[in-house]
Amino acid sequence: MLDFFTIFSKGGIVLWCFQGTGVTESFTGPVNALIRSVILQERSGNNSYSHDALSLKYKLDNEFELVFVVGFQKILTLTYVDKFIDDVQLHFRDRYKNELEQKGALALLNSHFAFEDDFKMLLREAEESSKARGPTSMRSFNASLKSQKTVKSMIETKGGDKGKEQGGKKNKNAKKEGKGEKAKASTSAQKTEENGNQGLTQEEIIQKKREEFIRKRMGAPVEKPSKSPKPVKEKPKGKEKRVWTLGGSSTKELDYSQSNGNGAHAAGDQGLDAQADPVCAFLFKMFLSPKKGAFGGMFGMLKGLVGSKSLSQEDMEPVLDKMRDHLIAKNVAAEIASQLCDSVAKKLEGKVMGTFTTVASTVKGALQDSLVQILQPKRRVDILRDVLEARSQRRPFVITFCGVNGVGKSTNLAKISFWLIENGFTVLIAACDTFRAGAVEQLRTHQRRLNSLHPPQDHGGRPIVQLYEKGYGKDAAGIAMEAIAYARNQAFDVVLVDTAGRMQDNTPLMTALAKLIAVNMPDLVLFVGEALVGNEAVDQLVKFNQALADHSMSDKPRLIDGIVLTKFDTIDDKVGAAISMTYITGQPIVFVGTGQTYNDLRSLNARAVVGALMKA
Amino acid sequence: MATEPGINMEAKIDARENPFEPYLDALKKVLEDQDPIFMIGIVVSLAVVVITVVFLKYILSRKTVQSAVLLVGLCDSGKTLLFSRLLSGKFKKTQTSITDSSAPYKAKNERGSSWILIDLPGHDSLRPQYVEKFKSAARAMVFVVDSAIFQKEVRDVAEFLYFLLTDSVVSRNVPSLIVACNKQDITMAKSAKLIRQQLEKEMNTLRVTRSAALSAQDGSAGASVHLGKKGKDFEFSQLPMKVEFLECSARGSKGEDGEADIASLEKSLAKL
Repeated sequence: MLDFFTIFSKGGIVLWCFQGTGVTESFTGPVNALIRSVILQERSGNNSYSHDALSLKYKLDNEFELVFVVGFQKILTLTYVDKFIDDVQLHFRDRYKNELEQKGALALLNSHFAFEDDFKMLLREAEESSKARGPTSMRSFNASLKSQKTVKSMIETKGGDKGKEQGGKKNKNAKKEGKGEKAKASTSAQKTEENGNQGLTQEEIIQKKREEFIRKRMGAPVEKPSKSPKPVKEKPKGKEKRVWTLGGSSTKELDYSQSNGNGAHAAGDQGLDAQADPVCAFLFKMFLSPKKGAFGGMFGMLKGLVGSKSLSQEDMEPVLDKMRDHLIAKNVAAEIASQLCDSVAKKLEGKVMGTFTTVASTVKGALQDSLVQILQPKRRVDILRDVLEARSQRRPFVITFCGVNGVGKSTNLAKISFWLIENGFTVLIAACDTFRAGAVEQLRTHQRRLNSLHPPQDHGGRPIVQLYEKGYGKDAAGIAMEAIAYARNQAFDVVLVDTAGRMQDNTPLMTALAKLIAVNMPDLVLFVGEALVGNEAVDQLVKFNQALADHSMSDKPRLIDGIVLTKFDTIDDKVGAAISMTYITGQPIVFVGTGQTYNDLRSLNARAVVGALMKA
Repeated sequence: MATEPGINMEAKIDARENPFEPYLDALKKVLEDQDPIFMIGIVVSLAVVVITVVFLKYILSRKTVQSAVLLVGLCDSGKTLLFSRLLSGKFKKTQTSITDSSAPYKAKNERGSSWILIDLPGHDSLRPQYVEKFKSAARAMVFVVDSAIFQKEVRDVAEFLYFLLTDSVVSRNVPSLIVACNKQDITMAKSAKLIRQQLEKEMNTLRVTRSAALSAQDGSAGASVHLGKKGKDFEFSQLPMKVEFLECSARGSKGEDGEADIASLEKSLAKL
């Protein structure tokens, strides 16, 4: 029932693969899509992904740098897949430990991994275990709880104890009932565990709770004498002696001095390792260790300090929590920070640390790498080159600016047009903000200033910046279309379309924006966001993208292509908004606005931003 | 009067020694006051420090000896398959690489020299970090190009090549560059000559647009290395490093089980 299963190294070489019967398509495409959208975009928090009709589940093995991916049809709900991947991973690791442990890729290239038989056996086991729990049949009325209660017990009396539904009938059939219930309870508990991913239905929750209640009651009534068939109020039995779980009757259990010496030390190891400086920790442990019988413990300590200690979830927990709080303090949106930390935890789980490295340094390094990776653009960002390309095709390059109110769209539009005219391109500004008072006049002022900086005499008598406006109150999409046609006729190189600011919840305005973009098909749709925004960035971008996707007629809707991060000079090092925005959309930050004059336009330097973010 | 010059000489000699005399005497006294073992201890520790410093310098300088050949290129250009073919000759299915892979490679020449072959991931978000990590150790770079879809990707290919060539470390070390036009088994593949011409034209344009690009927000500007000669059209022959274009096919014309068509690549690697 599986479509395919592959095991490949993180360097890209496929070690072993299995293709289900009757499946003809190659799995390379879906797996590559999985890698690109999940692993490389740091979304590996949840381990499943869907691509077309396939649903993919994966597991990373960080110790030997392997990835295990299984694919099956989305419409099937297979319950054994998670446990199956874990089993396959453990089996593969144990069997091929020698080849995998060697450094360098030669061992992987030269060895042949004949894993089919093991895989088939594991698959059979997994399928059988899922089939073993047959469909549970409905209970008949006699077997249910309701038949045990007398009618009187079910009548609610004012101030009565409707909780104490101890029917006499129930006590008689109690024992017989108990066994059947217990068996059913265990199987259905197992079933609900397996169905963890599917979720419990309301019925099953109620049934489970009922069974627990019965089980608790079953324990007690065996001792109580069942006298009358009438509902008996449960008398308090008098104070029972309290039993402490950890308290023994003798003091011998409290003596931890000999055999548990190493165990106590192992627990101590974990705590110290995670926090203290490694050399200090080593010395501290050395002084603490008792002299006799602790050589094994000492070597274990040494081993733990000098490499070959693999990271587990518990080790990373405190460090990741601290990093999450640090990121949130630096203005990264809260859910993005937690998703990032989960993804880093997944990437580091099981990894073997080097010598004299602490958990904190490993986690910080991994987090820094992921942040740089997120901020790196996933496609080529070179606006001038694209403008030249459009010019050679004799069409204008259209850039549209959208965003909420007051983020700096018109200001940054002016800055970008200054940059373009400095490089010798002619610019047409389309005033599609027909709502805000003074929007058109603002753009006209910018046009005059830019023209005075680059007078028309230098460019063959033609003004290098022109404004296309139709006043206020008109339809923005229509103005944009006319502006683009005018630019094509007059051979302008670039058209910059300024739109009105709108809140992401305002549906009619979002529809209007989506219509403008869908009708005019601009070359670049830039979302302008300010660096001061916090958690709002997530909401804004998600809703903008959603609106653009919903209202476009084609099956490949134009979404946001790039981000302009404005007001960057107002934040010192709380640069988290950059991370939130690029993480949500996956699109690069094309421009950074750092002030209000025409020269205050920059590009993003990923390393500098991450450095400022990770700085204490 | 013969003694006078003698006396003068003595006086002069005395005068010369005099400025040093008091210092030497003081030093001798201080040294004699100290415990000899203490002095020996100090001398030994100084010697140890000096030896360690020399040793470390030697070791650290050894690391930056260039002994690696990097396989770079865009995503899906065939680097990992080429890596597998060069090292083991086998065909392996590949997926998008997330990390680098490295292995020692024995070149097919009389000397039998061996160096390390490193396969870097080509995905856009990983490329800059891995190039940053390995560029100082590179003695040659094999730039793999997908010849079949070259027309669509020409701007991306040129931008990456420009990024590599204008890097400060690369322009200082001048590793030789081999541009391997891969996937020649596909019928629509472009020839190496055509790819070379197109890349030269594109780099010409890139010189202009890249130098006009915006500086970064903390003030650091991009690379200021100018490629080729000013005033003339860009040609690969103007570069300070050796550039070679060749054709190859990692998959091979006979499909997965056949041999790969990488003879010319192996020959060039042997010449390094």
